Amino acid sequence: MSPEERRAPAQPAVVAPPEGSVADLFKAALPDVEMTAIQGALDVLLIVDGKDAHRVLETAKHHPALAFDFLRNLCGVDYEAEGFEVVYHLYSYKHRHNVTIRAKVPREDPRIQTASDIWRAADWHERECRDMFGIVFEGHPNLVPLLLPEDMLDHFPLRKDNPLAPLEEWQGEALGPEMGRAGHIPPGSGFDVEPSAEGE
Amino acid sequence: MAIEPETQVEREFETQDLFVNIGPQHPATHGVFRMVLEVDGEVVRNLIPHIGYMHRGGEKLSEHMDYRQAIGYQDRTEYLSQFNAELCYVLAVEKLAGLVPPERAEYIRIILTELNRVSSHFMFLGAFGTDLGVFGTSFTYAFREREHILDLFEEVSGDRLMYAYFRPGGVAWDVPRDFKDRVRWVCKQALVGADDMDKLLTDNEIFIARTRNIGKLSIEDAIDYGVTGPMLRASGMKFDLRRDEPYSIYDRFDFDIPVGTNGDCYDRYLVRLQEIRESIRIVEQAVEQMPDEGPILPERMPRMLRPAAGEVYMRCEDPRGEYGVYIISKGATQPYRCRIRSPSFCNLSALKHMTVGHFVADAVTILGATDIVLCSVDR
Repeated sequence: MSPEERRAPAQPAVVAPPEGSVADLFKAALPDVEMTAIQGALDVLLIVDGKDAHRVLETAKHHPALAFDFLRNLCGVDYEAEGFEVVYHLYSYKHRHNVTIRAKVPREDPRIQTASDIWRAADWHERECRDMFGIVFEGHPNLVPLLLPEDMLDHFPLRKDNPLAPLEEWQGEALGPEMGRAGHIPPGSGFDVEPSAEGE
Repeated sequence: MAIEPETQVEREFETQDLFVNIGPQHPATHGVFRMVLEVDGEVVRNLIPHIGYMHRGGEKLSEHMDYRQAIGYQDRTEYLSQFNAELCYVLAVEKLAGLVPPERAEYIRIILTELNRVSSHFMFLGAFGTDLGVFGTSFTYAFREREHILDLFEEVSGDRLMYAYFRPGGVAWDVPRDFKDRVRWVCKQALVGADDMDKLLTDNEIFIARTRNIGKLSIEDAIDYGVTGPMLRASGMKFDLRRDEPYSIYDRFDFDIPVGTNGDCYDRYLVRLQEIRESIRIVEQAVEQMPDEGPILPERMPRMLRPAAGEVYMRCEDPRGEYGVYIISKGATQPYRCRIRSPSFCNLSALKHMTVGHFVADAVTILGATDIVLCSVDR
């Protein structure tokens, strides 16, 4: 194996979940919604479109066979060209099963319907997600900055086009040609220098 | 108990609402947390929490760090239960990278993690007493035991607070030779300390008057707000990730899950006090089962961790609830996305629901019983 081959990222192994998993329950409850099911390391992943997300989540909470009453976690992910995703980790105390729902949100117009009317836990998580990714949760009662300063409305730190600081060569792998160039680095802060070509 | 106007005078005369600001620098807020209370006389009508003073962008930093470098960040996030947070993070990386830690490392990790739960709960007992006006007494008693545990941690990891001792695949280096004897001694001391706190607070009339029926949370509300850990168990839900979704080697130990009935601040205190004893039970079993010799890292450890592409949401039972680490790997040496689900964050979001209708003084009690770590709320 050549070094280049070793360094190449391993391809994701997409495995369908086994028969009788939560994914089948979802498909039976929502036959007209398009969803892709993958078996993850711990849970079943369901990939849905952002427009269907609210219906899927509402069914997940209220359908007696699903009964996902606990929103474990809600977060955004920036997949660059493929747009954003809002990830919901759900758990059911009644049936003791897990599912992860990944809702795709387009990058140009990042909007998705709020889940705070389904679980009150979503309220703060969605505000944090708006802070970090600029995803607008429609119908949220109070979508104002939570962790970031209240006037920081147009700067989304966790987006991939917003780098931490220019990366230098010694800092592990290069994260792509654009990293360390664009973004919100104030001039004069000491971070607006070009990364050195040969490393320090 | 919500205070409703009783006499005709109270009903007919309108009072002016007053805003009281508590924090961000205030001993009762356990860190930099600010809450604005809208009060009508002594009764809280509305509560506006302000968080984010400690936001350091840890999730962004993790995306720019090697998998092992981000271990230290977990300590700084959950600074009272560092080993619990580290364990969750390394388990997530192990799941992605397919590493299996050796037996001895598993036992070392569980012993330290459970002792950390004990030290964290002692911190809660001490601070909670101080919140209620037992000034100093509960704090010194609780800190006496906490010091024993921290001394042990210092000897093992080299630091009193920021351990960074766990590694994906095991632990960083072996424990001292007299580790088992030290752990047994610390366990004995911790049980004495738990009994002392029990005698000091549990039957104390003032303590009960200040905590019973204060900040009640029903099971349905707790689940809806995403409240986990001792807060959820105090409401009557018998759920513990160590039992219900066993990770690491928790399925080998015999322990009980203390559950409350009322869901008030007193039950939260009782649940945590009992959890100290249950954690000591786990540690005592683990010390007996732990092999004396053996490796602490897998034989074939890669120098650079480069897990295959994929994602995992690992969750562990932190002293405060469910600590979750969601890592997306794209096959590089850094995670593509690293999200920390902090139990304090979710528990704190129920604060307004618990506080409205109580007295101003009870707001401090309820916040104390929530047992938040502000570094973990803001991340």
